[in-house]
Amino acid sequence: MSSVQKTETFSYDDQIVRWFVIATVIWGAVAMLLGVTIAFQLANPAFNFGLPWTTFGRLRPLHTNAAIFAFCGNAIFAGIYYSHQRLLKARLYNDFLSRIHFWGWQLIIVSAALTLPFGITTGKEYAELEWPIDILITLIWVVFAVNFFGTLIRRRERHIYVAIWFYIATIITVAVLHIVNSMELPVSFFKSYSMYAGVQDALVQWWYGHNAVAFFLTTPFLGLMYYFIPKAANRPVYSYRLSIIHFWSLVFIYIWAGPHHLLYTTLPEWAQTLGMVFSISLWMPSWGGMINGLMTLRGVWHKVRTDPGLKFMATSLTFYGMSTFEGPLLSIKSVNAIAHFTDWIPGHVHSGTIGWNYMLIAGILFYLVPKLWNTELYSKKLASFQFWLATIGLVLYIVSMWIAGVTQSLMWSAMDSAGRLTYPNFIETVIKIVPMYWVRATGGTLVLISFIIMIYNLYKTAKQGSVNKEQIFEAPALDETSIETNATAHRKLEGWPMIFAVLSLIAILVGSAIEIVPSLLSDRYVVKMSKIKPYSPLELLGRDLYIREGCYLCHSQTVRPMAHEVIRYGKASEAAEFVYDRPFQWGSKRTGPDLARIGGKYPDMWHYRHFYNPKEVTAGSIMPRYTWLFDNKIDYNSLQGKMQVMQTLGVPYSDAEILAGVTNAQAQAQAITTVLAEAGVPMKIVDKEVVALIAYMQRLGTDILKEEAQ
Amino acid sequence: MNHTNNEGEKLHVEENEKHLLLDHAYDGIHELNNPLPSWWSFLFYTGIIFSIAYFIFYQIMGGPTLREEFNKDYSKILVVQEEFKKANSAYKDERYVAVANPEGIEKGEEVYENNCLPCHQEKGMGDIGPNLTDKHWIVAKSTPETIYNVIFNGSEANGMPPWSEVLTTEEIYLAVAYVSSLKNTFQKGGKLPQGEVIEE
Repeated sequence: MSSVQKTETFSYDDQIVRWFVIATVIWGAVAMLLGVTIAFQLANPAFNFGLPWTTFGRLRPLHTNAAIFAFCGNAIFAGIYYSHQRLLKARLYNDFLSRIHFWGWQLIIVSAALTLPFGITTGKEYAELEWPIDILITLIWVVFAVNFFGTLIRRRERHIYVAIWFYIATIITVAVLHIVNSMELPVSFFKSYSMYAGVQDALVQWWYGHNAVAFFLTTPFLGLMYYFIPKAANRPVYSYRLSIIHFWSLVFIYIWAGPHHLLYTTLPEWAQTLGMVFSISLWMPSWGGMINGLMTLRGVWHKVRTDPGLKFMATSLTFYGMSTFEGPLLSIKSVNAIAHFTDWIPGHVHSGTIGWNYMLIAGILFYLVPKLWNTELYSKKLASFQFWLATIGLVLYIVSMWIAGVTQSLMWSAMDSAGRLTYPNFIETVIKIVPMYWVRATGGTLVLISFIIMIYNLYKTAKQGSVNKEQIFEAPALDETSIETNATAHRKLEGWPMIFAVLSLIAILVGSAIEIVPSLLSDRYVVKMSKIKPYSPLELLGRDLYIREGCYLCHSQTVRPMAHEVIRYGKASEAAEFVYDRPFQWGSKRTGPDLARIGGKYPDMWHYRHFYNPKEVTAGSIMPRYTWLFDNKIDYNSLQGKMQVMQTLGVPYSDAEILAGVTNAQAQAQAITTVLAEAGVPMKIVDKEVVALIAYMQRLGTDILKEEAQ
Repeated sequence: MNHTNNEGEKLHVEENEKHLLLDHAYDGIHELNNPLPSWWSFLFYTGIIFSIAYFIFYQIMGGPTLREEFNKDYSKILVVQEEFKKANSAYKDERYVAVANPEGIEKGEEVYENNCLPCHQEKGMGDIGPNLTDKHWIVAKSTPETIYNVIFNGSEANGMPPWSEVLTTEEIYLAVAYVSSLKNTFQKGGKLPQGEVIEE
């Protein structure tokens, strides 16, 4: 060290890390409790408890949001704030911003918990939160970014370590994804419509949805892995060269892969093919992280057996490797044809979220909590017990969902020599896999118990430790002495974090632009059909009920061009059919049958009975009852505003139609109720929500079957 | 360079990798510079080459689209379905007569309960679908042949599915036998009559 260097003193803000750690374990328990609840609901609908806000369609978004943004989110912030300061030898930019970040994020989570169960949702998977919360998320993310980049500017370490590369990519990409996918026009404080419709909406949504997995559940965790594994193992990272190659290839390639969620849909086929081939190319870039993590443990595998933190981290990497192999596999069109819409997908997702995210978070917490509270872990035995419970629970989950997924898919597509479906009644394919739902719920319960054991273990650890006064460190200020004269290009880049950030932004914008921009600019992207008309006012209200109840979480609305689907559901879907769908409701899972062509398939009375008690109409059904639809009045007050927003977004409602909206809606409700009354239904049902939902059901998929209007 | 971590514990470096250790240190974290594993590089480049070839074949050189592949499949199935329909859609009186007896009616009741019950209710009282115990008829016109036709083909306008997609032809005849046995039994509490009156 040269004597001319000026030495500075500084300390780390570990209090904010402790707060985020506590939030992580609390929200983790909530997320898993919700997960277990909805798992039992699928095994037996009695667990829906007959209440609107405890029904699967309302709790499932709460589970996913809690697991991803509350549990994993807080863990990311804890891990980044701890490591970022140390990797840069600098205190976080601003203590006050850190606190706004913390409380703002908790406010977002509480807002989610207070809206989603009450049916306040945008109806877009993993982006269900309504527009005011979307704005809050944006603001808090900016606070996080300012705090993060501010720290980078004040750093005392010239070069940024690979962990920070991943953090940078995360912060930039999540901002882009969130803002683009949340573009919506408000109707009221609690309701908005997507700026995109049909195919466009689907493309933007799954570009977002897939990359939420990439840049919220993968890249930040890879960054954390790059910090905590070498620290816990006291080993040098295996390959700097691999870090560079797999970082840039991962960030560049990941963003393209979204359309693999839309294979066989009406998305233009070139975009589908891009989604598939980029997913396949993503296999090795993903595995680069696993190799670098696992090979770092070379020579210290004995520590993995004894150190609970390392044990969890090493296991998380193997699950990461497994699910990033499964992902590309599932993206191959012919495999996707089998697996899509089945339980294989939730199985795949949970091998990532439980196997990779939960296990890595557990490993990090076992490292962090003793350090933050200046003590040793309370019990290695408990940690080991937790490890086995979590692993067995997860294996039960994954294996049962493989079996359920493949079984159901084979039953859906089985046909006899006369071209008839072997299992024409969808319910047969449900009843067959219900035992697997029980196995999954059991597995999930084991994972939840394992988590509660961890909370106890960490609580006892913190309790036996103590929070010391902030330690003062010394380091030379950043000056030209640390500039390496013969550095490689990438090494130089590591000294320019802002340029690094801009390059990452460019890397993710290339794929985004090539896939999305054509869908927004070209009129020819979706060939219009004049016979496809906007929803009637009552159908529009019914559609909003469909969204409110989260029907899209169990029912798809898109018939794929496959013989067995066309025989089961009717004509394969066309892109033009969805031009007035804001948001699109194609769904991603068929716990129940597809509804794209449900219109006219059954009499109104069938739907009336079925919404009241599905089991009475379909023996063995696991759909919850929707009895409140028979008590709640149709919200006609919102109708004019909704139609006006739709008109602004380009739906061809005339001003006269908007003015007559309520009158027309009431007339349609009257007509439906008159038919129902023939079977003895009292006329007073005319203003109840169920009538609007029936109107929507009966419209679905019928326009295209009409003769072309001239 | 001092290869210790913050706690003063010596960094674990294997003998055969000492030469790979880089002069990088962040909070006590060091980096080796191992070459990329050859199998990794191989699969990485293979994936990219495959992807380019796949895209070119299917999107540029005019390889079959998913729709084209579906149309090819589906047209074959349509032919088979048409043959099945031709062979079975026509009502054959002798097949009905063979099951129009107490034993056939009992078997027919089983078919009815497994398939028709949700809409037509117990003993044909009707609910979602019409009452089958009165003398009013909507699509079928009381005769076994017309009942057979409406079960086989369904009635799209009235929300009755074509049961030929679900039941075997034999089962349809059994159901006809059972439904025929219900007519004019006038079950109490049944659905109000729909359609035209056909006296026998």
